[in-house]
Amino acid sequence: MIVAERKPFKEIAVAASGFRKVLVAGCGTCVAVCLTGGEKEAGILATQLDMAAQLGDREQVFSVGCVERQCDREFLEELGPQIAEADAVISMACGAGIQFLAEAYPDTPVLAGVNTTFIGVNEDVGVWTERCRSCRNCVLSITGGVCPISLCPKGMLNGPCGGADKGKCETDRERDCAWSVIYRRLESTGRLINLEEVIEARDHRDLLPGRQVHPAYERRYSAHE
Amino acid sequence: MSKFSDALAGGKFVLTVEMDPPRGTSLGEMDALAKSLSAKVDAVVVSDNRGAVARMSPVLAAHHLIKHAQAEVILTLTCRDRNRLALTSEMLAAAAGGVQNLLLVSGDFVTLGDQPGSRPVYDLDSVQALILASLLAQGRDFSGELSEPVAFFLGASLPVATEPPGLAGIKFSKKLKAGAGYFMTQPVSGAAEIEALTKLPMAADTKIIAGLELGAEQEAGPLVELAKELKSGGKAAGVHLACPEAPQRIAELVDKLS
Repeated sequence: MIVAERKPFKEIAVAASGFRKVLVAGCGTCVAVCLTGGEKEAGILATQLDMAAQLGDREQVFSVGCVERQCDREFLEELGPQIAEADAVISMACGAGIQFLAEAYPDTPVLAGVNTTFIGVNEDVGVWTERCRSCRNCVLSITGGVCPISLCPKGMLNGPCGGADKGKCETDRERDCAWSVIYRRLESTGRLINLEEVIEARDHRDLLPGRQVHPAYERRYSAHE
Repeated sequence: MSKFSDALAGGKFVLTVEMDPPRGTSLGEMDALAKSLSAKVDAVVVSDNRGAVARMSPVLAAHHLIKHAQAEVILTLTCRDRNRLALTSEMLAAAAGGVQNLLLVSGDFVTLGDQPGSRPVYDLDSVQALILASLLAQGRDFSGELSEPVAFFLGASLPVATEPPGLAGIKFSKKLKAGAGYFMTQPVSGAAEIEALTKLPMAADTKIIAGLELGAEQEAGPLVELAKELKSGGKAAGVHLACPEAPQRIAELVDKLS
């Protein structure tokens, strides 16, 4: 899932200060699961903004909306009537959702209510940790299901750097070196042979904006282009 | 190939020292130290933005020491600050200025330095950087032909406290295959750490130079004793001295060891 954290209140309040009618739009999937941008959190933010506006003697009205996913056009359509009434929208979705909302309603200023942090997992109650950098060249089959791109700050592909100390990372002595974890996982499953081959330098064209078309839809989209 | 590689190949117990380029433009201090030491040591290792703190380009500093201090230089290049294009151009520049020895390392992560928000590069890791340097020796880079082959004596780093212990061997053997002709260890505190490294698979014929680091206030005696113990023990191929907090103390160590 995509994990996000709410922006500092002051930053949101300043961004919204120039608008009279503001819709706070939650997103019901990833950011709702990580307790950041779902309907409940959108409601809390609207209330906080309302209180701050009253205290500051600003004439602002805040309303709340929420859709299942802001990264899907069909769901975004549901926000149409509410957005028509608003001078601006604060989107509580991840960066993708915020952009898609802004694209769907280009005449209405869209503000970001959250900072998208990473693709991760729900490690424990209230704790999420990063697991994937969407690098488009997954090495998890080789590395025992432990990602050296997202779990090693240097993204080392051929073993640990010299900074690891007793199995801990040089950037945080509390965090396991990803390569120690990889080694143990492969050792326990008899697959250390995986580490003998040099992994070649990554192709960094993952930095180009991504686009993917499902093979079943290729003809449809090529016809349009 | 280089004087340094000849010394190692000849079985000499080598002595190398680390020097940081200035955080400014004056090379005088580095120059004077290198001049006073160049006859006593087998190579001066020029560091590369050590500790992720910006300093003068080590390529320029290396050229300067070769020209003005007649020093045998080992140029450190990290993968932290340069992608494969920049590493290639730095290697070519280094060779053009007479550098014959490289030490290719990942480099301390930027959060360990004074500008923790810098973008770290790590386009290549140290194994891939060694592969690149080995390609240059064949007259090409990852993509195509160069106008001539550019050969260096290649070195790599070797960690001492790997956990689990077997992990050290993974990268060590990859670095050997990628062309590393010598290894410099992280700072060691006892001969046992070097002993353990020499038991790695394929380590028997490998030149492993023990890293020794002296703190600004630390007494030199025990470190000198350790260096002598390593020399007589015959496991290490030499010692590398670093005194990053008080560079002038390097001379004190060298005098006691040369």
